[in-house]
Amino acid sequence: MAVPEFFGTIERSGLSTWIRESPSLFAFYFILLLHTVGLALAVGANVVIDLRILGVASALPVKPLKQLFRIMWAGLGINGATGVLLLIAYPTKSLTNPVFYAKLFFIAFAVIVMQRIDARVFGDSSVSEASMIARGKAMAIWSLVLWTGAIAAGRLLAETFKYLTYADILKGKA
Amino acid sequence: MNYAHLHLLLNHFPIVATIIGFGLLALSFGRASSDLRQTALIIFAASALLAIPAFLSGFGARIMLSQDPRVPNALVERHEGAAMLSLWFMETTGALAMVVLWRSHRTSRPARWHAPVVLLSALLTVGLMTRTGNTGGEIRHPEVRTSQGAMVMEGTLGSLVHAFEPTPEKFSQAVVGNLWVWGPLMFLHFVGLVLIVGTVGVLDLRIMGFLKQLPLLPLHRFIPWAMAGLGINIITGLLAFIGTPDRYVTSSAFWLKMLSLLLLGVNAVAFYLTGISERVRHLESGEDAPMPAKLIAGSALLLWLAVIVFGRYIAPLSDTLPPPAY
Repeated sequence: MAVPEFFGTIERSGLSTWIRESPSLFAFYFILLLHTVGLALAVGANVVIDLRILGVASALPVKPLKQLFRIMWAGLGINGATGVLLLIAYPTKSLTNPVFYAKLFFIAFAVIVMQRIDARVFGDSSVSEASMIARGKAMAIWSLVLWTGAIAAGRLLAETFKYLTYADILKGKA
Repeated sequence: MNYAHLHLLLNHFPIVATIIGFGLLALSFGRASSDLRQTALIIFAASALLAIPAFLSGFGARIMLSQDPRVPNALVERHEGAAMLSLWFMETTGALAMVVLWRSHRTSRPARWHAPVVLLSALLTVGLMTRTGNTGGEIRHPEVRTSQGAMVMEGTLGSLVHAFEPTPEKFSQAVVGNLWVWGPLMFLHFVGLVLIVGTVGVLDLRIMGFLKQLPLLPLHRFIPWAMAGLGINIITGLLAFIGTPDRYVTSSAFWLKMLSLLLLGVNAVAFYLTGISERVRHLESGEDAPMPAKLIAGSALLLWLAVIVFGRYIAPLSDTLPPPAY
């Protein structure tokens, strides 16, 4: 499979070069740090909602947990922005690795599941807590599975690559 | 101050504390009061946590000693093996103590198996920790050496135990550059991070006054999940350290992360032993927590953030500290 020349154009841009090559601690590693904080906020909030639906802390009222969705969206927002920056820094590394697409797949489905939990479990204020819980069980399990998959794919993405940069391909390093 | 100072400063506490804890637990049998037992369990949990920085600093001290011709390498290696073996028993005893403390907190009548199981685990830990202390003492005190020159002399029991010691060199070879060891370790470390931050985060935010509609008592049921996350991360973190110690020892961010974790321990002690936890324990929906509780919850959240920040900077800041040299 030919790697598009376009990746090389991105990598030669000022922003991409700065994130990738700057020795500053506020370049690549700061973006990576924010990406981790975003992960902790988004998935941490999700896990608490999922565990509660699955019966942990069953004396805890469910409805106030709706506020946790705001934390989740904040985390997802941070990770969307930092994810794009990391992609600009290493387009060839990410886009030539199948693990990258697996990670996006897991995140997309996890977010869809969480929106369904928000709508089906928390959206209808006329329903009793017991029926709120009953509606969410299967979705909560899916949510945990998909987020675990997203973290696994993210960790694997950090450790694996086929080509690091477009320049490497040109130099025949691949 | 160097790694050897730090190691000498830290290494006596877990050994002495475990022996005291074992004595208190043994005394508590046949007495009606549960205070002795509680104290012993808290001591085990605390020494399991203190054993970790003692162990970590030992790696720095070892690298320093490897260049000192006056210290036989065989003695250092024997001490390292003894330390690694006793550490896992210490952590197991600490974890068991935490489980029993949690259970006794929830039900007034603890199960029968609790105390004897902890006692047995503590007995093994005391034996192995004492051996760690002895083998360590021989390194720096030639006058107590039973062995002559570079020979390691141990009794029959010590030699038997030696066979069960982990071999860090083999493990390092397995970790370094091996995606299928390093990958799962870091994956689990991130899962633990999410478990801790999610559950502790909600509890701290509630005490600080956000999410105020949540009553506090049922939120405590998330604490075992936070403890499970902490357990996963202590184990995976120690394995990562043992696999590639040089990278961590020379990183300023690593020691700042350890300092943040130590301060979190102080934070937890302040919360549970000053009675503040009892004052917020039964907060109902909509009730405000007192200011000291809010400050403790807020500083805990900041410290967890610091743990993530410094953890992320271990790699770029490795080699910021001079390699330990004699």
